[in-house]
Amino acid sequence: MMKKYFILIIACIAMISSCEKNIELDLPPIDQKVVVEGYVENGLPPYVILSKTEPYFDPIGQNTINNLPVRGALVYISNGIDTVQLTELDTSINGVSLGGFYVALDSVTFLPTMIGTPGTTYSLNIITAAGEQLSSIAKLPMPIPLDSTWFKVQEDLDSLGWAWARLSDPDTLGNAYRWFAKRLNKDDFFIAPIGSIFEDRFINGRSFNFPYNRGTIQNSEAEEDNNEEADYYKKGDTIVVKFCTIDFATYEFWRDAENQVSSNGSPFAVPSNVKSNIAGGRGLFATYTASFDTIIAN
Amino acid sequence: MKYYLLLAIGLFLFSTSVSAQENLKKVTVSGYVNDSTSGEALIGAAIYIKEMQKGTNANAYGFFSLTLNPGKYTLIVNYIGFREQVMEIDLQSDKKLDVDLLPNGIEKKEVVIVAERKDKNVQSTDMGRVELEVDKIKSLPALLGEVDILKTLQLLPGVQNAGEGNSGFYVRGGGPDQNLILLDEGVVYNASHLFGFFSVFNPDAVKNVTLIKGGMPAQYGGRLASVVDISMKDGNQKKFKASGGIGYIASRLTLEGPIVKDKSSFMISGRRTFIDLFLREPFIKSDSRLAGNSYYFYDLNAKVNYTLSPKDRLFLSGYFGRDVFNFKSADTGFKVRIPWGNATTSLRWNHLFNDQLFMNTSIIFNDYKFEFGASQQEFDFRIFSGIRDYNAKIDLNWFPNILHNVKFGGNYIYHRFTPTNAYARSGDVVFDLGEVTRFYAHDAALYLNDEWDVTEKFRVNAGVRASYFAHVGPFSRYVEDPSFPGKFLDTIDYAQGRKVADYLNAEPRFSMRYELNKSSSVKASFTQNYQYIHIASFGSVSLPTDVWVPSTDKVKPQFGTQYSLGYFKNLKDNMYETSVEVYYKEMKNQIDYEEGATPDGDVRNNPDNNFVFGKGWSYGAEFFVKKSMGKLNGWIGYTLSYTKRKFPDLNQGRTFSAKYDRRHDASLVVVYDHSKKWTFGLTWVYATGDALTLPAERYFMSAGPPVNIDQSGQVGVNNNFYILSGFDKRNDFRQKAFHRLDISATLRSQKQRNYETEWVFAVYNFYGRQNPYFIYFDVQGNSQDGNQKVQAKQVSLFSVIPSVTYNFKF
Repeated sequence: MMKKYFILIIACIAMISSCEKNIELDLPPIDQKVVVEGYVENGLPPYVILSKTEPYFDPIGQNTINNLPVRGALVYISNGIDTVQLTELDTSINGVSLGGFYVALDSVTFLPTMIGTPGTTYSLNIITAAGEQLSSIAKLPMPIPLDSTWFKVQEDLDSLGWAWARLSDPDTLGNAYRWFAKRLNKDDFFIAPIGSIFEDRFINGRSFNFPYNRGTIQNSEAEEDNNEEADYYKKGDTIVVKFCTIDFATYEFWRDAENQVSSNGSPFAVPSNVKSNIAGGRGLFATYTASFDTIIAN
Repeated sequence: MKYYLLLAIGLFLFSTSVSAQENLKKVTVSGYVNDSTSGEALIGAAIYIKEMQKGTNANAYGFFSLTLNPGKYTLIVNYIGFREQVMEIDLQSDKKLDVDLLPNGIEKKEVVIVAERKDKNVQSTDMGRVELEVDKIKSLPALLGEVDILKTLQLLPGVQNAGEGNSGFYVRGGGPDQNLILLDEGVVYNASHLFGFFSVFNPDAVKNVTLIKGGMPAQYGGRLASVVDISMKDGNQKKFKASGGIGYIASRLTLEGPIVKDKSSFMISGRRTFIDLFLREPFIKSDSRLAGNSYYFYDLNAKVNYTLSPKDRLFLSGYFGRDVFNFKSADTGFKVRIPWGNATTSLRWNHLFNDQLFMNTSIIFNDYKFEFGASQQEFDFRIFSGIRDYNAKIDLNWFPNILHNVKFGGNYIYHRFTPTNAYARSGDVVFDLGEVTRFYAHDAALYLNDEWDVTEKFRVNAGVRASYFAHVGPFSRYVEDPSFPGKFLDTIDYAQGRKVADYLNAEPRFSMRYELNKSSSVKASFTQNYQYIHIASFGSVSLPTDVWVPSTDKVKPQFGTQYSLGYFKNLKDNMYETSVEVYYKEMKNQIDYEEGATPDGDVRNNPDNNFVFGKGWSYGAEFFVKKSMGKLNGWIGYTLSYTKRKFPDLNQGRTFSAKYDRRHDASLVVVYDHSKKWTFGLTWVYATGDALTLPAERYFMSAGPPVNIDQSGQVGVNNNFYILSGFDKRNDFRQKAFHRLDISATLRSQKQRNYETEWVFAVYNFYGRQNPYFIYFDVQGNSQDGNQKVQAKQVSLFSVIPSVTYNFKF
């Protein structure tokens, strides 16, 4: 947060005369690494998406997206008792084959072969067609639902405000949380606002109120995300909150990822890799134990 | 340790016992060298005995002492910018001789940048030591017309700037925390305003600046890289004077004068910015984005001195400076206030035991504070940090005979460090950010140093500094679970005053000069230094949030060894001074934050739990040509250097370039004294681009689980993606080279009665070079059209900036 304000100050100074220009940077060729997005959620079959890293300045288009998925890998998940191999599904969005999608569904019946159960530790093992081996371990935490949720209009704004909640953190250190929310009939999926993650190092065992602003999609061009309504909920919205307890590694990944994106190029930050719990590649084996609340904003 | 001490003491006893025998029938001439118009002591003025071709320099209080055989001598006293004074003295018994020099400049203003005895460059044992006379650097172009001492130092070889417009500097591969910056002997922990753009030293209040970048004598310690020793003006002893100026950034006013003529004087000097007055109505509308912002900084320097007797003089000086940034958002009620700054006070007593023994005793207090406060509705958030020192010092200067100049003394500091602490509240709930954590430490040193003319041609400057540092309680050491940062396995509590860790070290300092002939010499030096207090920085730019931490049980003292060798030659009857110096420097126990550390990791924790340790080394060659006489004067400096770091826990243990590893660094400084009315200045700098870490690769991560199923069973697909960067080698890329030309012209009015005015016109970055400040990445285009790409953008801070400053004096 502090950094942000220093940047603001520098921006003020820079307004005097600063200027920027496009530059071309020559980077050395890279060895592509496997990127793992593994998900275990309570009540859902685990799934994994495998892709590859690519040179930083390559154009982003359908060609590269088609090249990114890692197909034909052997993906196993174990809950300590059973080990299942995930089934590779070929999905497509708008005609673009995404591939690299592996899910704990039976390849014939499409029934789940494993379901995320809170309190269980899951291990992930991957062998790609090229022979790369990757692995990870993560625990699906127990649910900690919010005590209550409500909407409150921001001081001077008559219909705009934030979603508020009250949480009682249990008296054991090491709980971490992530907040997602969506507006019924307005958002297609749960959106995590910037700063969606927090942990209990400073709030261990306490009950407290906190607000979240409305999250937006990265680089959203929607009007409501760019006018005075940006970041706010509005009277009349039905807000569904997906409040998750998460594994500490999931917390660390998203803390670093948000830092990395917000400090892009900032002279006040040392560029560093996002902390990953994947051995042998990049990405995250994430766990989310969700509890849901609905807020009617009025 | 013992070995060095014994050696030093043995050498010392030997050399002075020889002197003592010779001393039997000797007599001493001693006194002070002052400016005749103001009574200000002339630090470093040269006193030379023509018949012996030997001499000395006035010390930091203008005192000198020469012990000679009885006889008739020609005494020559000079100080650049002043008329040389030649005196015939018949020395039969001890003699007091105060010398008042008359400035050259009253009629004919000669502009000379660096004050040195004409051949001091060749004669002294000093290596990498430069003195700047502040009055003279005012003719050089400055950013926005704000004359800045530290930025002028950056124009010297071996001293590198810390980036565009930054007053921070790096000396011979050392970090910014390895420079000891002293203002009237008080340590200034954060020497910059406005996040580094301006230094805290108001040039109107400063008399003299000395930089030592190599061969640090034993009276200085506690830092590895350099000493910047700044003396405030004492105040005019003769008459009341006022001076000041109005500039773009800040305006200044200095008052000085006698309290009791020739006995006691005062100086008070203030400087403040006025940007904040323009960041409000009517200049900025209340609905503008800039509304609610305000920023200012100010400095206040004050000094009084009193001559108690011919043998005793008291000085009381103080500095107080603050930066304050305020931000208030009208629509969200979000408020931020960030104040920070230094305060130092020093009380000094000069005492002459006899004509050969001078003593200064100082009691110094200094304090640096930083605070960040934010609030919004029910939330309140505050971060604070700082450092406070109580410091006592005794320095003795003994002149047993003309062959020796002995310095010895001791120093004790009690430090109180406040690393980043935080307080947060939401409504009635106070967050558990832990007790306020502090570090307390004793820091003591004894030193002995002798500058000794062993033969006509061979002079050594040898010394040793014994330093002791103890980190003491109250202190709580949190023992962190290595697999779970922030979770503690144990807490070890130390009671008040109980020792947590201590260190005792000897620091040998040695330099020598061998005179090849009247105009050239070879010099060599070997020094070892320990540094017990450290800054670890999160960013690549030093910020007021940087926190000083002491050596603890975890943090070992930094240890530096430097070897340097130089050839010095003056040409054309000292018209030109030239030198070549090569150096090699090793630094052990260097500190950095572990990869990915963030400031909140310091809260409710010991900051040193987040440190990693490694080593560094630097080597290079510095070339310097200076012309300090005549209408056209200035210098050219060039440095070739290599600076590397190696940390087992950074960059996968591989060696990497320090951010400021600068292969080439050059500067050109020219002052042309055209006439009584006009003086022109020009500076040009060139530096290899900073080392930089760039992402090697990118990857996509869905911002949340891609498959969304809510409690009603509705399925959605998350198409919110983050583009993340993968980094490989640290500091493996180079920014574009940095170069810039600045020019200035100073127009002086004819003196009317006692009123003098001066206009300084300057253009910063004359040819509009877009120097890189930072690079960021922008995602452009649309992925649906397949033409999306990541574009690198280079941001430059300053293009051409003209400025006008008005100065007055009466």
